[in-house]
Amino acid sequence: MTEDGAAGSTGAGGALAGGAVAGGAEPERAAGPGPAPARRRRPDPLPYLLVSPLALFIIVLAIVPAIYTLAQSFYRVQSLDPPVRFNGLDNFRALLTDPTVQASALNTVAYVVIGVALSTVLGLAMALTLHRGFWGRSVLIAAMILPWALPGVVEGIVWTGIWDANTGLLNSLLTSAHLITHYQVFLGHNRLLTILLIEIVQVWQMTPLSTLLVLAALQNIPGDLYEAAQLDGCTAWSTFSRITLPLVRPGVAIAMVQALIATLNVFDQPYVLNGAADTGASLTMQTYFISFQNLDFGKGYALSLMITVATLLGSYALIKIVYRPVEF
Amino acid sequence: MVPRRLGRARTALVAGLAGTSAMAMLTACGGGGGSAAVPSSGPTTGVTISVALAAEPPPKAALDAFTKSTGITVKWTNIDWDSLQTKITAAAVAKTYFADATDVDWSRVGQLSRLKAFYPMEKLMDTRSLAADMPQLTSFTSAGHVVGVPYDASFDVVTINKTLFDKAGVKQPTTMAEYTDALKTIKSKGVVKYPLSIPFAAAEGLSTYWYQATAAFGGTVLDSKYKPQFTDPASPGYKAAQWMVDAFTSGLVPPGNINVSDTQGQQTLMAKGSVASIFGDYSGTIGSLYDVPASSTVVHQVGYLATPGVSGPAPNNSNPDGIGVPVTAKYPQAAARFIAWFTSAQEQADFAGLNGADKAMPGYALPSHVSAVQRLATKGQLIGGQQLSDMLQKSSRPIFPGGAPSWYPEFSRDVYTNLHAAAAGSESVDKAVKAIASSANRLSAQGS
Repeated sequence: MTEDGAAGSTGAGGALAGGAVAGGAEPERAAGPGPAPARRRRPDPLPYLLVSPLALFIIVLAIVPAIYTLAQSFYRVQSLDPPVRFNGLDNFRALLTDPTVQASALNTVAYVVIGVALSTVLGLAMALTLHRGFWGRSVLIAAMILPWALPGVVEGIVWTGIWDANTGLLNSLLTSAHLITHYQVFLGHNRLLTILLIEIVQVWQMTPLSTLLVLAALQNIPGDLYEAAQLDGCTAWSTFSRITLPLVRPGVAIAMVQALIATLNVFDQPYVLNGAADTGASLTMQTYFISFQNLDFGKGYALSLMITVATLLGSYALIKIVYRPVEF
Repeated sequence: MVPRRLGRARTALVAGLAGTSAMAMLTACGGGGGSAAVPSSGPTTGVTISVALAAEPPPKAALDAFTKSTGITVKWTNIDWDSLQTKITAAAVAKTYFADATDVDWSRVGQLSRLKAFYPMEKLMDTRSLAADMPQLTSFTSAGHVVGVPYDASFDVVTINKTLFDKAGVKQPTTMAEYTDALKTIKSKGVVKYPLSIPFAAAEGLSTYWYQATAAFGGTVLDSKYKPQFTDPASPGYKAAQWMVDAFTSGLVPPGNINVSDTQGQQTLMAKGSVASIFGDYSGTIGSLYDVPASSTVVHQVGYLATPGVSGPAPNNSNPDGIGVPVTAKYPQAAARFIAWFTSAQEQADFAGLNGADKAMPGYALPSHVSAVQRLATKGQLIGGQQLSDMLQKSSRPIFPGGAPSWYPEFSRDVYTNLHAAAAGSESVDKAVKAIASSANRLSAQGS
């Protein structure tokens, strides 16, 4: 216990003992000549000014547009029907009752479920494989990064050449292997199949980042835990489920959040692979069509806001459910 | 960190940084804006103008000659069409500088006119003298103003692979009924498995294909007041939609075309001899694609067919590209001088190859000047030239009698998404047509 009765660890108590005062009274001064009492230091403005250009950059390019979007989403902003006027929740009501937006929302939910699940499972599997050292590991990691580095549009074009029903590689391979007798239409007919195939392309892009995040978490786990488990006779599955999986939860949570953000905002792959068809259009595509084709920016702002809120809520839910702090 | 001992110098440094930051912020916040009125004067020489089009630039020698004669340097940017339209729209709405001269697509004339995004070209150059030789100029006129000047003469045509038609023993059809029968005969005789290409991808090409098919069935999609003309099953537009979907479901069109765009159909199907015909092809594709050995396996096999109609030849819908001057242009008068040069009959003839390959503009198929087309046809340098010239003068017409409405992009998206869904089987033709009509009624109530 310190002099002022406060309790705490040794370090904290020492600090309290050194600096705590009772009732806010001035500290006792030693009798006779000694150092002058410490004055309150004025905050130094220089560090703030040095970072101000970057801070201004972020404020102007991110925060100001976000506040503007939030405000304008409650206004009727149509370039072909000026002036701008307040219309409350009408934009949101119109979007929620628009069948095209509803269809896109369902498509996007499917993209999220498939994309987050697949990228997480595949990312975990690949991280576990790469965790062990083997010949060619670094080459494999470099090759694995490639899909992540490619723009979504390029990937869409590449995979068009695979899924295409008239000249696609997959049809050609299946026909050569006598697995099918005539070319199949993979995209555009069946909605679920179309969404699945489009999302496979995005998973191909996202999984490398998931892998690296989980791999980083894996490499933080002390090896002596596994040694102890081995000595105790744990099976491989027990070791994985009771040691590995709980301790990589932070990495898995971050990987899932980044997958959620990417899939909720997917645009390139469905647009290139399936055009504007309702079978695969995402919410972000609708935002683009509403804003830049219909020139209805009020609804575009509102839809952007709704996507942002969904992203925040989804990310929070994932962190709450999956993330656990880990200390070694 | 600046040491405290610098005293006043430190204070000056801090103040200077604060001032610099404030100025940077003000600079970032400033800029933009443009004048809606045509400026009475401006530099027409000694400047560099920016031109943004979805096309390769003219030969360097041609641009250098232009610079030498006018003192205007041209900085050309080639942007794909979809991205370009988004950039033009965004710049128009934000009233920010984008280019001195840029694309004006026929489909965007109404929208750009209503946004007052482009200068009226008749105030910047002599467009009246162009009218007689440039029949598609009317497609670029809205509310009495010329929004852009067409620099090519693209219009819908029917292309057929004559070799495949001959193999099947069918004569060239003149009516829609004969055309459909010819396709069925080609299929039944096994000449090709799928004789017709229709681009059912949910994209603009599907919409224009439907407009052309509607013209062939004897009507238009919208009347001069933008009211839908296709809701009655006996109407040309309804019949056209039904014909297209029936062709797909009955096996005349490759199943994979559900996700094939217009250019993909040209490049991967027609140019490879996989199909025998495209009903809504684009003028000039024979010279620029089908007869080019590097990109086609059907060289000298494809020809133009007069559009089969109900009882004879039908109109050809025009869908040309134009060029105009945005109101945010830095040098509108100089840009207008460039446009006058770029769209002149002589330059267009050169770009199309009249005077040699070294003066030709890559991918430039058909001049917008009838006289230039005629010269090319006379000299035998335009495949199907006389036929194209006749179509351009006599049978090409705007898709919408009242011009493209300002809400056209939204309407077109409703057209192609519903027709795509009908072909994919997720809705009936009747439901698709009703949805498109509902869209047209809702949008036309907002004005044109």
